[in-house]
Order: sequence, then C-alpha cells, then structure tokens
Amino acid sequence: MPRTKRVEPEKEIKPCNPYLPKLYKILKYNKESSDCFLIRLDYKGSYEPGQFFQVSLPGIGEAPISVASYSSTHLDLNIREVGNVTKAAAKLKKGDTLYLRGPYGKGYPMEKLFGKNLLIIGGGSGVAPLKGVLSYIDKHKDAYGNVEMFFGFRAPEDILFKEDVKQWKSKHNLHLSVDKNPSKKKISCDVCFVTNIVEKAKLNPENQAVFMCGPPVMMKILLGILKNKGFQDNQIYLSTERMMQCAMGVCGHCMIHGKYTCLDGPVFRYDEIKDYTYD
Amino acid sequence: MLKINKASFSDFLTDVMRYNELVAPVMTDNSRFETIKDVSKIDIRIHAYFPAKKFFFKKCQTLFTYYDGKIKVPEIELDKNQRIMIGLKRCDLNSIKRQDIMFLQETKDPYYQEERERTLLIGYHCSEPYDDYCFCSSMDLGDFYDLMLYEKDDAYLVEIGSDKGRGFVDRYRKYFWDTDLYIRPHERRTETRLHLNKREISGLRNNPEWKKEISKCFSCAACVTLCPSCYCFDLYEETNAKLDKVQKKRNWASCQLTCFTKVAGNHVFRETREDRFKHRIFHQIKYFKQKHGMNLCTGCGRCIRGCPTKINWVDMLNRM
Repeated sequence: MPRTKRVEPEKEIKPCNPYLPKLYKILKYNKESSDCFLIRLDYKGSYEPGQFFQVSLPGIGEAPISVASYSSTHLDLNIREVGNVTKAAAKLKKGDTLYLRGPYGKGYPMEKLFGKNLLIIGGGSGVAPLKGVLSYIDKHKDAYGNVEMFFGFRAPEDILFKEDVKQWKSKHNLHLSVDKNPSKKKISCDVCFVTNIVEKAKLNPENQAVFMCGPPVMMKILLGILKNKGFQDNQIYLSTERMMQCAMGVCGHCMIHGKYTCLDGPVFRYDEIKDYTYD
Repeated sequence: MLKINKASFSDFLTDVMRYNELVAPVMTDNSRFETIKDVSKIDIRIHAYFPAKKFFFKKCQTLFTYYDGKIKVPEIELDKNQRIMIGLKRCDLNSIKRQDIMFLQETKDPYYQEERERTLLIGYHCSEPYDDYCFCSSMDLGDFYDLMLYEKDDAYLVEIGSDKGRGFVDRYRKYFWDTDLYIRPHERRTETRLHLNKREISGLRNNPEWKKEISKCFSCAACVTLCPSCYCFDLYEETNAKLDKVQKKRNWASCQLTCFTKVAGNHVFRETREDRFKHRIFHQIKYFKQKHGMNLCTGCGRCIRGCPTKINWVDMLNRM
C-alpha cells in the first residue's frame, strides 16, 4: 500500500518578502519650485548617490524616485509632479508617513573614480541625483580633483536647491543657466541652454569623469558636444529613465537591450548602452 | 529501469489524486492543464494549447493588502496538498526551469516558491512532434524533471530525475515494476519538422524580412500570454469600494503592448510595433542567453500556434 501520509513541504517558507515596503516619516517638506518638492525621510540605512527608491502610496501606486542626498541619518527625495503617485505625494506634509522600498540599482561608481576630476552636468529635476553625488564629494573632500558643474533650469523660479546652490558656488566651479527669464528678474546666471555653456567652456578631457542627468534631449546634445571636445564614451556616466516596477530585475518593463535599468542601471557608462538607443 | 503498465496507469492516477492535487492536460474547449476531478479525462499526450505556468506564476496574485494602516501578507498555507503535475512536455519542463531562474535565483519570490516547492513534475516525452509548429529540437533543451515517462509498447518507462521524484516512486512503489527495457539515445530526442537555424541574431536587427512579418502583427499579445517562459509582470493596486482596503497585485504583462514601457508623462520607449516585436524575439533568443546561458524560448511553438495571423518568426529568421 502506498503510504497515505501527506508529504508536508520541507521547510516553512517565511522569507523576507521583497515586495513589502516599509513605513517612514517625513521630517521635512520643502517646495522647491512650481512642480518640484523635496522630502526628507527618517531612513537610516545606507544607499549610494544614483540609486533609487520605490515610493509607494497605498491606493495610488508606486513610483521610482532617485536619492538626492548622501547621509546615514536621513534620505532626501526630490520629486517632480508628473504622474499619479508624484502628484499625490505633493499633497503630503511634514509628519506624514510614506511607504518605501529600496535602495535599488547601481549608482555612480564614486569609489572607482577616486582621484579623478569630475564634470557634473544636470538639467532640471535631473540635478536631484547629482545633489547626492555632491554630498558624497563633500564627505570625501580630498578624494577628487577639480569639480566642475553645469546646471540648467527652465526659469529662475525653477532653480532647485537654492541654498545648496549658494554653497556649491563657493566650494566648486558652478556654472548656472536658465533657458528663459520671462519675469525679467535680476539674476546672476546665463540665459541660455545648459548645453550652450558647456559648449563654450574650456574642458580638458584628461583624467576626467563626466556625470550627467537630465532630459534625454539635453543628454543627446551633450554627448555630441563632449565627443567634439575629445571625451571618450567610457568617461561618461549617464542616468537613464525607464518604467520600473518591481525594481528587482524581473518584471521586464525597464529592459534596455537585455539590461535591466533597475539592476544594471539606472546609471550606465555610456559605452555600455551606446548602441541600444532604439530600445 | 522502472516501468508503469498502461493497464494500471489509470488506477495509479486515481490513487495519486486521492491525497494530492493532480494536474494534467485535458481537452475541454481547448487543450489545457487543469486540476483533475475525473481521471478518465486525462490525456497525457496532449501538448496543451495553454501553458502550465499559471500554476506557479499566477495570472493574478495578491501580494499584500494595506488595511487599517498596516500591511497584511496573505498567509502562506503550509497544509496545502502536494501537487503532482503530469504530462508536461520537455518544452514545458524547460520553461519551468527558466521561470525558476527568474523567481527563485534572481529574486526570492515567496509566492512562486510556495507553489513551486509543493509541486512534483512528471514529464512525458513526445516521440513525435505534436504538430508543425513545434521546434524544440533546435533549442538545446536539457533534462529537467522529477520523473519522466517514455512511452514503450504497453508501458511507460520511468526515469527518475531528482530525490523528490525518487521519494514519490517509493511512495507508490506498487505501481512501478523493474524492467530490462531501456531508453535508447535516439528515443530521447524528438526531431521536429520546424527548425530554427539562426542562432546568433545580433546582426539581423535591420533585415528587411522583419517588416513582412510584422506587418501581420496586431499587437494582441497572444504570443506572450501563451508563452510558457515569459515572466514579465505588472504591479498595480486595487482599492475596494469603501476605500479602506488596498490590494497590491501582480498580473501577467506583455511587452507587445504600448503601455509596457510607458512612463509618467506618457512617454513610450518602444512606441512602434516593430520595436516591440523585435524586443520579444531578441529577449527570447538573445538577451536571456547572454545572462543565463540558455534561450528563454524552449521551442514549444505556442506563440506561432496561437497567433491569429500565424506569424512564423522561426521561418522568418531562417530566411534572413
């Protein structure tokens, strides 16, 4: 007779469920511009500049947001209101809570680039992940050579992190530009595209690493400009944007030519993804 | 070698069904894998139109629930019956292996793991290709099963592939007989009539042959839904009418639909049907292989069989 006893599963499956978010408190909420806001959360884990978190609001959904800080005591997220989740998140205030899971992805290879001169170019809300990079540089002062920065925004009112910008101006070489100045405000920056000021600048590609983050159009033009200036593809690190859902390299939405943006990116060295622009 | 006599096969299945959940291919409105209530309906030779992946990677899975300010995870039931799946073809078994890679190695997915660990896989070797759409003999399929049945005259020869399979045989020992018969090497292979010749497709992205086939594509996503290996999914949330309970759910997704790559602000990265179609083929026979050393495609032919316009991408690649 076959044994009638049912075979129980060998071990209890109570693993750490990778889909579960955790609750964090908002320590600070700051409206940065008409459609951007910065929230500081009491997240105490470690993360790297360039990585991202899945921000989740029950009933609305999840959105991937890149980190805008480098600290072991808190986490800053700069959020732009473009989709359902981000628009709902804009209504939060200090003291509210937020679900998070992460950090995910590969950030900027900061340690690998010790000793290099850095060229940092950001456009609009693309400056946010670079803010994390700059906090990292501040904490590792002597690790890098010259730091040159080019940040562009739409208008003077859209300039993000105004307090930080003042500091960056004194500490590093910051070039600021706005696309237009409709309110004719008195400003101390160029009125042109960020790509124009990069093109005009004298840049030496030697021992240099380039970080860039911003709208795809900006990055596309910049890649051409940098190439003309003698930069190699393997010197350029750029942050890509894709639809990321699971953030664990399974769900497939963020795949670029077999690479998962959430796992192998979102920061890629340009030569790794150069030929895959059609994907 | 062990064998099971065909005469006692139905008794064996009835016995298995008594204490386990038995899943086998049946012919209903269409052929599919189903939980069996009547053993006489089973035909293990059927190459089911619908794949068996729904038993592990469910079409719709509730991951957790937000309720009352807390997250509640569905209880993982430990007293669930063991599930015996019988009649899986070599292509089906190999695609389970590919899904194992994604859900158990790449991540530890507890929902998949729960279903997978309680399942015993019994394969059935096709001595003849099921139809003209099968092309498994060109896909380098490996041995992946707990037990494998090979039809031989009035019996099924049984090959044991794992300890789990051995344990199962011990449990139902009275149906298994020792035999001198054995499986010859050529009996392990199924020569399909359709054959994928092109293995390296990197340089073929701009070949004009694509356009001819893609012009027939409706982006209906039948190919992805029927694929036993495709594992992409959507995460979304569902709120109840009282707005106090939110369920986080996971659904099958399809790379053939525009919404698959849509980001906030409504930008779609793979906007054209051509890009989406190519993405599927490249994922199936290039990207996955680059990372995991094996094709995602196992040559079951379901994507061609189920395509409303019968786009035969295997032929298309061969012509390039």
